[in-house]
Amino acid sequence: MKKLSIAVLGLLLVSGVVFAGGKAEGGAPAYPTKGITMICPWAAGGGTDAILRALSAAAAKQLGQTITVENRTGGGGAIGHAAIKNARPDGYTLGMVTFELNSLPQQGLIDFTYADYDPLIRVNADAATLTVKADAPYNSVKEFVEYCKQNPGVVSIGNSAPGSVWHIGAGLLANETGIDVKHVPFEGAAPAVTALAGGHIQAVSVSLAEVKSQLDAGNVKCLGIMDTKRSALYPNIPTFIDQGYNITYFTWRGLALPKGIDPAIRETLTKAFTAAMQDPEFVEQAKKMNLDLAFLPPAEFNAFLKENFDAVTKTMKAIGLVN
Amino acid sequence: MDFGLIFSSIAPVFAPENILFILLGATGGVLIGSIPGLTSTMGIALLIPFTYGMTIIPSVGMLLGIFCGAMYGGSIAAILIKTPGTPAAAATLLDGYPMGQKGEAGRALAIALFSSFCGGMIGALLMTFLSPFISRMALKFGPAEFFTLAVFGLSVIISISGKSLVKGLISGFFGLLIATLGMDKVSGYLRFTRLIGFYEGVPFIPGLIGLFALSEVYANIENILKSEKVTAKISGVLPGWQDIKAIARSVVTGGFIGSFIGAIPGAGGDIAAFVSYSEAKRSSKHPEKFGTGIPEGVAAAEAANNGCTGGAMIPMLSLGVPGDSNTAVLMGAFILQGFQPGPMMYVEHLDIIYAVFASMMVANFAMLIVGMCGVKLFAKVISIERKLLIPAIMVLSLVGSYAINQNMFDVYFALVMGGVGYLLQKYEFPLSPILLALILGPMSESNLRRFMQIDNGQFWRIFTKPICVIFLVLAVASMIVSVRNQRKINKRVARSGGDAAE
Repeated sequence: MKKLSIAVLGLLLVSGVVFAGGKAEGGAPAYPTKGITMICPWAAGGGTDAILRALSAAAAKQLGQTITVENRTGGGGAIGHAAIKNARPDGYTLGMVTFELNSLPQQGLIDFTYADYDPLIRVNADAATLTVKADAPYNSVKEFVEYCKQNPGVVSIGNSAPGSVWHIGAGLLANETGIDVKHVPFEGAAPAVTALAGGHIQAVSVSLAEVKSQLDAGNVKCLGIMDTKRSALYPNIPTFIDQGYNITYFTWRGLALPKGIDPAIRETLTKAFTAAMQDPEFVEQAKKMNLDLAFLPPAEFNAFLKENFDAVTKTMKAIGLVN
Repeated sequence: MDFGLIFSSIAPVFAPENILFILLGATGGVLIGSIPGLTSTMGIALLIPFTYGMTIIPSVGMLLGIFCGAMYGGSIAAILIKTPGTPAAAATLLDGYPMGQKGEAGRALAIALFSSFCGGMIGALLMTFLSPFISRMALKFGPAEFFTLAVFGLSVIISISGKSLVKGLISGFFGLLIATLGMDKVSGYLRFTRLIGFYEGVPFIPGLIGLFALSEVYANIENILKSEKVTAKISGVLPGWQDIKAIARSVVTGGFIGSFIGAIPGAGGDIAAFVSYSEAKRSSKHPEKFGTGIPEGVAAAEAANNGCTGGAMIPMLSLGVPGDSNTAVLMGAFILQGFQPGPMMYVEHLDIIYAVFASMMVANFAMLIVGMCGVKLFAKVISIERKLLIPAIMVLSLVGSYAINQNMFDVYFALVMGGVGYLLQKYEFPLSPILLALILGPMSESNLRRFMQIDNGQFWRIFTKPICVIFLVLAVASMIVSVRNQRKINKRVARSGGDAAE
């Protein structure tokens, strides 16, 4: 099924590029005629920056113009997201939006939502995991839940920052399974994983890519992944659904435009970036970064954003992050 | 050890084109480091896309060149224009700038270069031979350990306070206070602000530029037209034998302190340099001369921050845990090349590990060569007429404040901090304690609260952790010794008529 959809997508892409070439000659406004700016709300050198630079390089080949990545950082992502929303809607500025777009508004940290953008495509979606120390006495999500129930308020789960994607993920887990745990925020996922490997906390709820090096070294073990399917790289890690818990939870990244862009330009951009997502060089880069590419076209991405926003809001309320 | 493997893996590092890449990186690093606001992290991050098409050895070599070069580059601005080019060079200016003002800019630069090289080599050697051992120690650092490390770091404030301990403490507490601004790192609530630019706390680099560079610009406006030029005597591109003998001990101790602190994830060159400076002052026969422009001060700081480069690589390579922000970005470069740093790296790609070790040493030599070529050129900056130099520093400072986040808010913040720094200096409050507090305040606060959360608020448990006890004892000892030293210094100064420490 998946292979088929990829094949169909590939075909669409090829025809898309051909048609795009055809249309430009047919009198549509010439676009793009100059370099494009891509706003990254996170710092240069980080995961978002790396994937965005690779994707931009692939899309630049399609568009025949350079794409410059601009890191507009600060405010926990708020500044960059605002910059994308407020950019001039001429198609020469767009940016990468990330999970935080759906968790900052509820906390009153930004005064706009996904609805203030023109979503382009979803790029990747990485599931949360439940990862514990290798020598921990529990070997499945069920055993972990039972342990937490017998020892309420003892287990500390590390996450990447207060109100962050993995904090909400761990909150979802605690809420759905009815366990009482301590949520300990760190400054990013890496310090949390290190604290786990050093035995200072008992679990982390971060993505598979973020625990990979410690997992390979046998310092930690992954009890479950909050995905709909198992990871291709680690097929023996069961999903939560496999273990009888109906929990799925992802962080995601996508591209978005400011509102009010000429539909023809949006179409050109959609086609270029859709094609870029299939570029072998880009796919290779994503694979090296252990990212799960999860393409969604504009309409589906928009629907996903709404669904995700509602789910995140519900969890945040349930765990008391917002009223 | 398999010597065959070692030789076959390091051979490509010495290929001419590879050496060229490392030299290019080191040149870029020295330049980036010397411009306040452009950090080595930024330089490495911006060059990573250029390494997509390269193989692992030249790309890592080039990035390591930037890393090492920038660590030295930071001292150039500190010595010449009283602004640390990178945060790690903040301790260098304590003695570097006074040396420059005495007409010894060339000597200070040469000492900084020599100490950077030696510190860097100590770090690289420790990294080569002790990685697996030291990395095990890094894992032992949990929230409680980080908290006590930060407390130890804060105790250094006393020895960098200058003449008045009270004024130093006031500066330090002012820094701690503004460090609480922004989003609470544990609960996520906003403290003392609704401004989006303060969400992540006060912008560190713009604050540093404001405090050190812009305050100097404002102060110089007062006498911009009275041009009292400082001319730099340049005796050589490397320190003389006398100087080397004088600084040898500070350099070696600094290199080790730097490597050790660098190996602790989350503690970087800035902390290392201050701790090493404080140690050099403590163990010196003439502590009263520190802060007046003496070679040991520059050497201790520079050896430590370059020792950090090797130290920070240790947990990155062997645990997959970056030691500081530079190595975090470097780790990204490894992953993009298809190598996941971490324990498996030593099993699966030992050849790459050896090549990285060799590249690190070559990068230090490259830094030495680039620095030696540059000393004469850089030292000329100080002889530029003030009415030309001051506006240039102003422009550089504003550009630097903007560059870090591409955000105008940071520029306004830097301008305000410039005013704060100007007033503080006018009334003889030292500025370095503010900087140290800005680095260590958030680190001590969030780790203390994390520790209390994990251990259910039982603070006494901190005394059951050996590393914590060691740091707490060190902190108390360092405070007592510094206060005693300060008293002695004051007495000695009073006896000699008060000119020695002026």
